[in-house]
Amino acid sequence: MFLRIVSDSFTRKPRRKVLTAAALALGMAVATATLEVALDVGDRLAREFRSLGANLLVTPASDTLPLEIGGVDYRPVDAGAYLPVSDLGKLKTIFWRNNVVGFAPFLDVPVSISSSGSQEISHEEMIGTWYSHSVTVPDGSAFTTGISATDPWWHVDGRWFSDAAEEGVAGAALAQRLNLRAGSQIKIDADGHSRTLTITGIVSTGGREDNSILAPLEIAQELAGRPGEYRRLLVSALTKPADSFSERDPSTMTPVEYDRWYCSPYISSISHQIQQQLPGVEVRAIRQVAEGEGRILTRVSGLMWIVTIAALFAAALAVGATSATTVLERRSEIGLMKALGASRRAVSAFFVAEQLFLALVGGVLGYALGIVLARELGIGIFGTAPELRWILLPIVLVLAAVVALLGSLLPLGRASRVDPAPVLRGE
Amino acid sequence: MVPLVQVEKLEKRFGEVCALDRVTFEVEAGEWIAIMGPSGSGKTTLINILGGLDHPSAGRVVVDGLEIGNLGERELTRYRADKIGFVFQQFHLVPYLTALENVMLAQYFHSITDEKEAAQALGRVGLSDRLTHVPAELSGGEQQRVAIARALINQPKVILADEPTGNLDEANEAVVLKLLRELHDAGHTILVVTHSQAIGNLADRRVELEHGRLARITVPSMAKE
Repeated sequence: MFLRIVSDSFTRKPRRKVLTAAALALGMAVATATLEVALDVGDRLAREFRSLGANLLVTPASDTLPLEIGGVDYRPVDAGAYLPVSDLGKLKTIFWRNNVVGFAPFLDVPVSISSSGSQEISHEEMIGTWYSHSVTVPDGSAFTTGISATDPWWHVDGRWFSDAAEEGVAGAALAQRLNLRAGSQIKIDADGHSRTLTITGIVSTGGREDNSILAPLEIAQELAGRPGEYRRLLVSALTKPADSFSERDPSTMTPVEYDRWYCSPYISSISHQIQQQLPGVEVRAIRQVAEGEGRILTRVSGLMWIVTIAALFAAALAVGATSATTVLERRSEIGLMKALGASRRAVSAFFVAEQLFLALVGGVLGYALGIVLARELGIGIFGTAPELRWILLPIVLVLAAVVALLGSLLPLGRASRVDPAPVLRGE
Repeated sequence: MVPLVQVEKLEKRFGEVCALDRVTFEVEAGEWIAIMGPSGSGKTTLINILGGLDHPSAGRVVVDGLEIGNLGERELTRYRADKIGFVFQQFHLVPYLTALENVMLAQYFHSITDEKEAAQALGRVGLSDRLTHVPAELSGGEQQRVAIARALINQPKVILADEPTGNLDEANEAVVLKLLRELHDAGHTILVVTHSQAIGNLADRRVELEHGRLARITVPSMAKE
């Protein structure tokens, strides 16, 4: 009988039901699209920001104060502390290992450079690093990383050096001063060691690299007499925007708070985890990027939420208007049901079932429409469609049910409170 | 023996208007009572209070041991489903349900639906061949018979009929009256609001109201016989 009455109400005034389902579908389409993009935008923007450079700097905890003049580290190579390259595989064992998209160790060495065929010696800085190096992770797997992962936007005229070859890349300003170009040979001396490198390209970063020679880390280690060691490490990690919780000192947190913080990819928790894995290091967030990223993500998410809430509110209003008319039209039917012994709950159940069915139809249609919309938005903003998230379907269906029920709350209340006596008298 | 219905000094006020003024009468089980009086005398108000559709302003109404004025909304709902069978002047059938489903609707709100029992009830009112017809496909008399079958389906203690023949032609009125008489003969307690002298004459007693007051209770000559 229940299903008979509910199903019959769909054959009467079908246009109104279609209107309600359409309002719900549109609201849900906007909600799906914005949720899809909002969920995707975090990852997307994080990746976009990662392309602007690393967001964590790892240095030896006991390092001496840096002595840099004009970007050149004038500390003697044996001053300060160094870190073992062999530990770097451990970075891929932290809790948020999959968020560590790349890292590159650096060893700066003051060197004397002379071009082949020239007697002129220039005192410059050589930066030893990895371009694309395979690191063995403790679980036996390999992870390829280097500045190709942490700083993919660095522009090179020519090509990058190969990590295993006697090659190097010259900074644009240095190349101009020393008249270097791709193919040039340079002799490098430091602390009694000497190597000859072939310049494979000219790099332009806008930073101190423009005045340096970038070369494979192993060469720098040999020249510095520091085999298997590095001085600083840049880590590129996907992080969640910083908020007031992430800024708290973990030592003041309760165990539950600590777990929540530890299991959130905050820059602070990832730093903490790196510090746990690499003993004797100090991890600092490169705030400028991290904070900018957080601010933009917060703003984009906020905008998405406002649009979603507005769409849902509009859908709820439309649902409310149509169900108010329905209740008004069916007052005598409701009055009769109550005279026959129908409780408020029984009367409400008919309308709730109708609204839930409409929510199901509107929700599924809205989800489908929203996916198409999200795809268009994704392509428009990021150039690629967002990943299809099936988890959104149940969320959207629940949202549709909540909107349909909240929207018809007042008419439903009115239906359940219909006084049968005057209605049955035709008043 | 305790009367099935006891009405004592019943009052009902709508603001300044006194629709019922200290009305007192009793109804024995199995009696057929005609509630009569001119328009605005309080007949429908009285039947609404007896049916649990309205609350008394003062006085007592006891039906089958339940004092209606003391019942909460949930208990009143149960009271209507269990003890009362309504028959209305405008039939009040659900237009999109068949005759059978209209009867089953009362079963649904009472307990559980039983299609066979509903079909038997329609058979009792002579509508075995109209089970699958919707109200628009039935005559006025047939619709009222569906309403009577619906009123009877849960074996109520009291059948309350408000002008049951008010919208019927003479032929259909005769059919409905015959049906009410049969129900009375079968032992049902019936209270009928009516303007019709013919129905009034069929009742065991006539409760006559004037301006909300009980004017008189009379016994029609047919009942005396």
